[in-house]
Amino acid sequence: MAYRVLIVDDSPAMRSFVRRVMELSGFDLSDCFEAGDGAEAMKLLASEWVDAILTDINMPGMDGEEFLRCLSADDLLRSIPAIVISTDATRNRMDRLTTLGARGYVTKPFLPEDLREVLERTLGDPNV
Amino acid sequence: MSELRFQRALHDSVQEVLEKMFFVEPLDEPPGETESQDGDMAVELSFEGAPSGALTLRVSSAAARQIAADFLGQEESGLSSAQVGEVVCELANMICGSVLSRSESTTTFRLAAPRLLPAEEGRISQQAADRRATHAVAIGSGTLSATLETRDPVWPQAEESAF
Repeated sequence: MAYRVLIVDDSPAMRSFVRRVMELSGFDLSDCFEAGDGAEAMKLLASEWVDAILTDINMPGMDGEEFLRCLSADDLLRSIPAIVISTDATRNRMDRLTTLGARGYVTKPFLPEDLREVLERTLGDPNV
Repeated sequence: MSELRFQRALHDSVQEVLEKMFFVEPLDEPPGETESQDGDMAVELSFEGAPSGALTLRVSSAAARQIAADFLGQEESGLSSAQVGEVVCELANMICGSVLSRSESTTTFRLAAPRLLPAEEGRISQQAADRRATHAVAIGSGTLSATLETRDPVWPQAEESAF
């Protein structure tokens, strides 16, 4: 099954890297959408359905935590698995984001297979 | 965290970030002041937590272009200076986050957005040695130097912060 994924990050370079890493890892990607912050992502999600969201935390405008709150507050969007990609690997932060609704966490730096594993585990791949 | 572990955390973070995210194998290089050349870049990123401080990254033009090309999967010749600057900022963000994650602090750190500086401003400060760590590496024909300074002694036993 090919998946539709939304990448939310204020850095175009990071968005480009994440997209490339998904492709390199062999993850089955059909469509990839990008947004520069949570507000832009919410706007995009009003017209496009995705299977998973990869989001940064620190972003100008609507940051990752507020974005997760918005997703959780929406009856439809809360069902989309959101995975956080961040440099912050502290237990505090991970616990906090899980409470806000994050279904997975990838710490930068990461290998392509790390991202693929978290994506497939979150999306329920039976091989993982 | 002791001064030695602070230095080790910076060393390991620089190596790991460059290898995993930029697909380059850096070689250790003795730290020291080098003359800035045209095209060299410096980035500063401050952070708040326990401890608070800043990371400064100085990257030669050759190293900056190589890591940007590796990160974006593009030819160096096709990169704009804005793209190279953006990648160097992302590199600073990842190194800083990686060091802080190794600090064993219970604080949730707040990192500011990385800021590009004129290369000559990215000089190593006179902060006391127990509040500063520097790691320099060679990347291809270029160099990269990371300096992390804290406003307080390195990694005091942190209390939970409000953040």
